[in-house]
Amino acid sequence: MLRQPLSRALGLSPSRVAPLTARKFAEQVQAQPDNVELFIDDQPVSVPPGTTVLQAAAQIGVEIPRFCYHERLAVAGNCRMCLVEVEKSPKPIAACAMPVMKGMRVKTNSDLTRRAREGVMEFLLVNHPLDCPICDQGGECDLQDQSMAFGSDKSRFTDIHFSGKRAVEDKDVGPLIKTIMTRCIHCTRCIRFASEVAGVDDFGTTGRGTEMQVGTYVEKMFLSELSGNIIDLCPVGALTSKPYSFAARPWETRRIDSVDVLDPLGSNIVVATRTNEVLRILPRTNEEINEEWLSDKSRFACDGLKRQRLVTPMIADSRGNLTPVDWEEAVVAAASALRDCPPDKLLAVAGELADAESLVALKDLLNRLGSEKVCTEQYFPLEGAGTDLRSSYVLNTKIANVEDADFVLLIGTNVRFEAPLLNARIRKAFIHKETDIASIGPKVDLTYEYIHVGDSASIVKDFATGSSSHEALKRLESAKRPVVIIGADQLKSAEGPALLAYTQELALRLQDKLADKEWKVLNVLQRTASQVAALDIGYKPGVGKHLQDGPKVVFLLGADAGVVTRESLPKDCVVIYQGHHGDVGAAIADIVLPGAAYTEKRGTYVNAEGRAQQTLPAVTPPGRAREDWKIIRALSEVCGARLPYDSLDEVRDRLGELSPALVCYGEVQNNNYFAQARQLAQSLQKPVSGKLDVQLKQLEDFFMTDAISRASPTMAKCVQAVIKQKQSPY
Amino acid sequence: MLQAIGAAARLSRTGLSRSLPAFSTSSRLSAEDPASRKEAPIIDNESVFATPEEKKEKMTQVVAITVPTKVDLSPITGVPEEHVKYRRVRIYQPPKNAMQSGTNNIQHWEMEFDTRQRWENPLMGWTSTGDPLSNLKIQFKNPEEAIEHCEKNGWVWFLDVPKIEKDFKPKSYGVNFAWNRRTRVSTK
Amino acid sequence: MAGALARVVQATKTHIGVVGPLVNINNGSVRFQQTQTKTKFGPLSDSDRVFTNLYGRHDWRLKGALSRGDWYMTKEIMLKGTDWIVNELKTSGLRGRGGAGFPTGMKWSFMNKPSGGRPKYLVVNADEGEPGTCKDREIMRHDPHKLVEGCLVAGRAIGAQAAYIYIRGEFYNEASNLQVAIAEAYQAGLIGKNACGSGYDFDVFVHRGAGAYICGEETALIESIEGKQGKPRLKPPFPADVGLFGCPTTVNNVETIAVAPTICRRGGAWFASFGRTRNSGTKLFNISGHVNTPCTVEEEMSIPLKELIERHAGGVTGGWDNLLAIIPGGSSTPLIPKDVCETVLMDFDGLVAAQTSLGTAAIIVMDKSTDIVKAIARLIMFYKHESCGQCTPCREGVSWMNKIMYRFVDGNASPKEIDMLWELSKQIEGHTICALGDGAAWPVQGLIRHFRPELERRMAEHAAAHGPSKAERLY
Repeated sequence: MLRQPLSRALGLSPSRVAPLTARKFAEQVQAQPDNVELFIDDQPVSVPPGTTVLQAAAQIGVEIPRFCYHERLAVAGNCRMCLVEVEKSPKPIAACAMPVMKGMRVKTNSDLTRRAREGVMEFLLVNHPLDCPICDQGGECDLQDQSMAFGSDKSRFTDIHFSGKRAVEDKDVGPLIKTIMTRCIHCTRCIRFASEVAGVDDFGTTGRGTEMQVGTYVEKMFLSELSGNIIDLCPVGALTSKPYSFAARPWETRRIDSVDVLDPLGSNIVVATRTNEVLRILPRTNEEINEEWLSDKSRFACDGLKRQRLVTPMIADSRGNLTPVDWEEAVVAAASALRDCPPDKLLAVAGELADAESLVALKDLLNRLGSEKVCTEQYFPLEGAGTDLRSSYVLNTKIANVEDADFVLLIGTNVRFEAPLLNARIRKAFIHKETDIASIGPKVDLTYEYIHVGDSASIVKDFATGSSSHEALKRLESAKRPVVIIGADQLKSAEGPALLAYTQELALRLQDKLADKEWKVLNVLQRTASQVAALDIGYKPGVGKHLQDGPKVVFLLGADAGVVTRESLPKDCVVIYQGHHGDVGAAIADIVLPGAAYTEKRGTYVNAEGRAQQTLPAVTPPGRAREDWKIIRALSEVCGARLPYDSLDEVRDRLGELSPALVCYGEVQNNNYFAQARQLAQSLQKPVSGKLDVQLKQLEDFFMTDAISRASPTMAKCVQAVIKQKQSPY
Repeated sequence: MLQAIGAAARLSRTGLSRSLPAFSTSSRLSAEDPASRKEAPIIDNESVFATPEEKKEKMTQVVAITVPTKVDLSPITGVPEEHVKYRRVRIYQPPKNAMQSGTNNIQHWEMEFDTRQRWENPLMGWTSTGDPLSNLKIQFKNPEEAIEHCEKNGWVWFLDVPKIEKDFKPKSYGVNFAWNRRTRVSTK
Repeated sequence: MAGALARVVQATKTHIGVVGPLVNINNGSVRFQQTQTKTKFGPLSDSDRVFTNLYGRHDWRLKGALSRGDWYMTKEIMLKGTDWIVNELKTSGLRGRGGAGFPTGMKWSFMNKPSGGRPKYLVVNADEGEPGTCKDREIMRHDPHKLVEGCLVAGRAIGAQAAYIYIRGEFYNEASNLQVAIAEAYQAGLIGKNACGSGYDFDVFVHRGAGAYICGEETALIESIEGKQGKPRLKPPFPADVGLFGCPTTVNNVETIAVAPTICRRGGAWFASFGRTRNSGTKLFNISGHVNTPCTVEEEMSIPLKELIERHAGGVTGGWDNLLAIIPGGSSTPLIPKDVCETVLMDFDGLVAAQTSLGTAAIIVMDKSTDIVKAIARLIMFYKHESCGQCTPCREGVSWMNKIMYRFVDGNASPKEIDMLWELSKQIEGHTICALGDGAAWPVQGLIRHFRPELERRMAEHAAAHGPSKAERLY
């Protein structure tokens, strides 16, 4: 009765070449003498002691099927799919939890192994509804694939004629995750993700045996900024995406690799599209940035790309109403406004979603028109080294290295909502490396325990000068790999320069003492995806000063943060808005030029570490919208200040001229000149007395922060649901 | 394969990993004949029936002839010029589907053209496109082959090397119950 | 569940009956290390009994216990040190009384490894939930000081700081007696700081369970003490390595711990003189079911099953010939039919040779009035109810077996499903995290092995009365 499964299906990968990681590792391990040697399908493999059989098999490209095991989560060992035969062991062992032993002979393709897998598959399917035709996971379901590869070819579940299958009531865990609990195979991946990575211990199991259910016990929303990841983790269709439900099949969609811009980390994503529509966004593995997670905003705000879009050029008519016009008319109007404006009255403001190409084009255009007033919405102190040295405005430690830190000091930043995946890294270090964290700033929930030093800015000064007797400073000073992260929001205030100077002083004082000379301590966490590129290109941070000069023409490049308002401008000022959403900026514009969102263009974005990455067009811009740098290039032609580039490659060559780092895609350079920055900052160390506060305190603040997420109905639902959940007694 | 990946990594580190003149090196192409690597050699009847002397003579002729020119198929492929000159090919390793754990289908390299407009066919709801190359997705064993293929066709390419290398850390079931570590599991 | 569920090494099993095409004939052999000289086992003389107040006829409190010899020379035993106690246990040949029968001396010697600054713990498994088993409760109710003293001796042997006695939640009286005994021992200075004046500090805690059978599995028990759901852990790591609160831990059955002081006092050789080699000692047998006088009795190991029943339980109701089958070691062991019962010896090896297991030595006797299919179905229902739901084969498999078993009771099934059920039970057995899956699979296997004709008869009867079963459809 136990059919021998197709040998083809089982011959999955032994003969295949090992993945990149395995190779690198294989090279490394040869140097270590204390490795354990074992045999997997008669192939010798040498791994460090403590490695699991499943990992050892992966080294030589043998993939053992699994449901509950996930390499970024704790080992659970409960699905039993990874059972393999080990010589001299009477029963099969769970490869995911079993540490290797010397001389072990593992057989991943023997009859015993196959029978064990087939048995487990059969049991999993006994209570699985097999509603694949109406299941959103269909086509990308581990259970489907593995039952094809390892399962039996027929059912013998005769009891379907008598008592049927188990049915479980669905749970409501919020507006993002749809649950169909009958499909659950109890792998507990979601539970482990929630408690380990997300730091929200809400999920668990209740009941025993067949009555066991995964859920929250008391029905409540899964209050996490990383909740969407459990959809990916779920190997079956028990947890699926609510906004994406019944939208498409995986084989109908096209997947385009891209980069997220809704937070400053530049997480790698895959944009799934059908026809000319973005259907969903999934994370893409990048070990140096987002591992394989993605924050909820980046994942679910994509429906904002279809709403509130600017699809046609518009000009305000005599009554001030924006009316659609042709491109020609709009470009001529904008160009003549630019040309006729006295250069010192011309101002350009770049917003948070602008790509480096349009940034450089806009700056070049203004420079050609004689204006130097190109600035970003987000402020950064210009005193001292200002933005001349890259080290003073990026994350120098780098996201991946935060994992290796042994003490992290957060100054005025709620990392959890400003950069969720950086927070996930800190939490990972907290759990796996026993890293301790201290925070100066308001008390917020970071999902891990931290030493709250206080929220007064003067603490930063005391830390920098070493006059504080706080435990956190002592820990910081004795740390071998300390990390100091200051939130860019703190630098907006009048005390910003001093705070930055103190932070630099503190970080570099620590850095100089370190044995590891390569380790960087100082980190500035920017709030937006465009800021680092803008500063690299030479934008002036902050608009405040320039607004007081009374500009005649203001060019807003996706500036939607509300920094520039009608009230702050002279009455006769012409506002040109170029961007993709009808948000704050377009509302005050006289001329609107529709641009492309990040899924619609090939754009360069530099993340908070200073790593340049590019988005790829997944869909074409809606209506008459165009790629941003092309619009500016067209404007330049009409206003007589022709920009010298006609293709994207030429724009990128121009970017490379400004800073080679802007076109080194995927790479990030180490920054230097810390000492110089510190020296320049020394004069700025003035007393500070304010309190540090952060903008995003609660989960409901997290969801809608930019033009795209503000246009997203899903994000709006999230905000409502979080507020409702907070009012509930549970 | 290992070398190829190493080369790819090196290429990516040079910053502009795309087919600008610095990279479209015809000398590299001429160094190894692409045809000789992937296909069995074609032996014609003459060489089969040749006497050893004739063979030797032929060999000297064969060795003497070198083809240093870059193979460029674009004039004869019939692909419209706008698709050859103005489009770019991305050479990449397909990413793992975040929804699944299997990695069997991502062990190769692919090339793909940039996305052009698609729309829904008003009659049937199918996806339509005016782009003849939109479904040209070719798999290669390694990026070098892909590069070669693009160069041969005259396509402008760039290389995307994924960051999937990861430090190896042994997983342990025991740490779930560690007595003094934070890996201790609280929920089940 | 006192670990009757712990696995018996299957390789030593010899299959006797050939049942259907699917049974593997496994010619394993039972190994004897020493030659067996003794041939007659039992009855046990009164002077050799360890549990002298098993029936509660005397005072169970400290005074009575002292009069029965408990706490006698405990200090001296402790001062002899770890190695002496472990050696004495090894000499005695005591095997774990919870069901798996792992040699206790060896288990304790595993605790010698350096612990890296971690404390060590002794955990006493008093979660006696195995249907048919009622030996530990008698000890705790009537002779609690034996257990408390055993904790101290065992704790000394493994270097533990404290003992946790995990007692089944339903055992209210037992828990309170035990608690009183512990309080008395503390007051008398027998445990606590400087226990018995030996200079050794040792605490004993009682933890009451909440009524889950699975919490009798040692790692689930540890989880439960830690305050989590009682879901078994995988092994390795073994509790001796990572156990209670992540520290080295030994988990022992109540009976194992309670006999330890007596072994130390009377010598391991004395204990080893009972029973066959490798199965030595005395043992509490619980005889229940269709016997005239159900009882718990301490007897010598290797006593013939028939003699045990005849002598202590007043024989099978309606005479020996009325016997149908016996489950010899608690509900999780496969049943044996009457012909096997005639000759089988009640010890680990003897029962393994009969394709069953000693388990907790809870003998469930079933006479010919028993609906054997229904009885086994009821047991499977119990396992289905008590499966923790953590791992797939047990969670899904046992409930499926339960569905099939209840159809078998009515005969509403296809005869081909018997083989299927056998296969299912084999798919569960050995594939689960803990031994509950095995414990659920074995009764079914026992039933199919010995009562296949009965199953087929019912199916034929049902088909004659109601037409072919719906289950035939798939075949």
